[in-house]
Amino acid sequence: MRAARTAYPLTWRIMDVLEAFAAFVWPTSFRRAIPYLLLAPALLLVGLLVLGLIQIGDLSLRTLDTSTFLLSENYTLANYRKALTEPLFVVVATRSLTGSLIVTVVTLIFAFPYAYLMVRTRSAGLRKFLLIALFLPFFIGQVVRAYGWLIILGNQGMVNEALGLIGVAPLRLLYNYPAVLFGLVQYMLPFAVLMLAPALTAIPEELETAAASLGANWVHSFIHVVLPLARPGLVGAGLVVVTLSLTDFAMPAILGGGSQDFIANAIYDQFFRTSDQGLGATLALMLVALGSLLVGIVFTLFGAGTLAMGRARQ
Amino acid sequence: MQDVTGSASPIAVSVRDVGMVYDGFHAVKSASFDLPAGKFLTILGPSGSGKTTLLRLIAGFQAPTSGEIVINGKAVSAVPAHQRSIGMVFQKLALFPHMTAAENVAFPLKMRRQDARTIPERVERYLDLVKLGGYGGRRIHELSGGQQQRVAIARALVFEPDLLLLDEPLAALDRKLREEMQLEFRRIQRELGVTTINVTHDQREALVVSDEIIVMDAGEIQQKAQPTRTYRNPQNAFVANFIGVTNFISGAVRSVAGSNAVLAHSAVEIPGIVGDERNPPRAGGQASGAIRAEQIRIAANARSLSGLDIVLEGSIRDAIFEGERIVYEVCVPALAGEALRVFDHDPVDHVQFEPGAAVSIGWNSRDVLVFNN
Repeated sequence: MRAARTAYPLTWRIMDVLEAFAAFVWPTSFRRAIPYLLLAPALLLVGLLVLGLIQIGDLSLRTLDTSTFLLSENYTLANYRKALTEPLFVVVATRSLTGSLIVTVVTLIFAFPYAYLMVRTRSAGLRKFLLIALFLPFFIGQVVRAYGWLIILGNQGMVNEALGLIGVAPLRLLYNYPAVLFGLVQYMLPFAVLMLAPALTAIPEELETAAASLGANWVHSFIHVVLPLARPGLVGAGLVVVTLSLTDFAMPAILGGGSQDFIANAIYDQFFRTSDQGLGATLALMLVALGSLLVGIVFTLFGAGTLAMGRARQ
Repeated sequence: MQDVTGSASPIAVSVRDVGMVYDGFHAVKSASFDLPAGKFLTILGPSGSGKTTLLRLIAGFQAPTSGEIVINGKAVSAVPAHQRSIGMVFQKLALFPHMTAAENVAFPLKMRRQDARTIPERVERYLDLVKLGGYGGRRIHELSGGQQQRVAIARALVFEPDLLLLDEPLAALDRKLREEMQLEFRRIQRELGVTTINVTHDQREALVVSDEIIVMDAGEIQQKAQPTRTYRNPQNAFVANFIGVTNFISGAVRSVAGSNAVLAHSAVEIPGIVGDERNPPRAGGQASGAIRAEQIRIAANARSLSGLDIVLEGSIRDAIFEGERIVYEVCVPALAGEALRVFDHDPVDHVQFEPGAAVSIGWNSRDVLVFNN
């Protein structure tokens, strides 16, 4: 009797009971439904998003009656006409688009050597330091960080005080375009490095050694070997940075001080300042369209496979 | 360029007292050798013997902590890898996956700023040399393992380097393909006459492809000799053990006379030849007699072994059938029950001894090499 009990422990019996119960509740014939069941939460979320988009689409076709502050009953394209012709919106859109492109290029230029050093260094200590330095700002929200820059770059900020010591008159470092771009680059850098690091890890170091043995100095080795092989990482990082910068709100709002609005700030103003929900919805949809267009162009140029989403080639 | 070792061809590579220390660990301890131009040298050793480190020092990926490497009469310690004229085939090949086979082969020519109009013709010639004519447009991942090897060889040779280095490129291949590629390396090396240094832990490969073999262990060169000499006259017990299947019978040295030595194990006297003349055994000391498994004969009774110097009785402990030969482990009571490995290459009479069978074994004294313990 004792022997039998040790041969078949209690935990196994409990598992048997649980398995029998599971088989009763979810017979094996249902098993094929499991993948769809696991997909359900994601589908639900995407569905809600689509519902919201339809709602916004509906709003964007109604104009605001300024006498009653109610939206019109009939559909019209007046909001779209206004968004495309009003000089202010054209300026804001151009500013956001050029800004996000500049931020992307600068971020990638800064992130690449950082990621490369982090991946290739033989010193575990240096790698740890670089990783911690990368993740620390992640724990500080975007708004708090922007206020931090206000303190550092303000008229009485640390930078201007330091300049004052060497006799330089206070500089206006805030509330201009470069300040917004600076804040955005600083915010995007960790994202770019984290997207680049796996792509660089996937490049065997031996390829660079081989390039050297074949007569390539480090510049040639970088241009002909490292850069082409890092392309999936560069494209992925670039996409993340460009979409996040294009739709950013806090940096233009805080470091731009109202004078350097991006599209998201304009949408906010329409919804919460002028209460023109129709125009706000129109701008929101046009931002979605602009972002999708950018992603679409990148995918056509480089292929979706560059994001390493396809099956690995043998 | 001074010590030309008897041969007519000039010295292509001279390694002089080269040492490499990593964090206090001596990966290479004062290695020296000369390699005449056009020769195929193999550095053979177990993993961790320092053979790959030595190769990387010659390639210029690392600088030696001591000593000097001279290639074609020029000291190269201060020359970075990309300015040395050295072609290298890497263990994992290190082909560029984003380029075609032809672009891979063209890479060193482009890096050396060759006339762009001559590059395609030259690339095609070298692809032909490695029997890959017409495959230039293929992507690397579209080629088989053997074809990738060939691309790597063409890429390492296309710029006509002074020296070709092979860093165990055949280690990952299956046996058939590996043996085919060994002969291929040999053919290409003879055809071009390029001085070659190959690194491997595969003794068969070393014997098949090389003009000279350097056996390394623990960061030191144990022996440098031609393949037949390395096999037949190992300079020390490590080389005797590392190459081939060797039995070691240890015992007290009874007497030494010239190049002859006699060992005593239990009640048996085993005469042999002094293995290392620079470190000969002394009477009264301890030594080991090394004898190859294929130099021991095995028979059902002692009468069939009458021509041999030493004949002992034993019993089969294990019999392993390996196809072209049978490997026996024979327990010898006269040697205090020590087991000797014996190859039987002679299955013509269809005799295979079963474990437990009583047998006789015998060998000639000239096949026993005596090394100091």
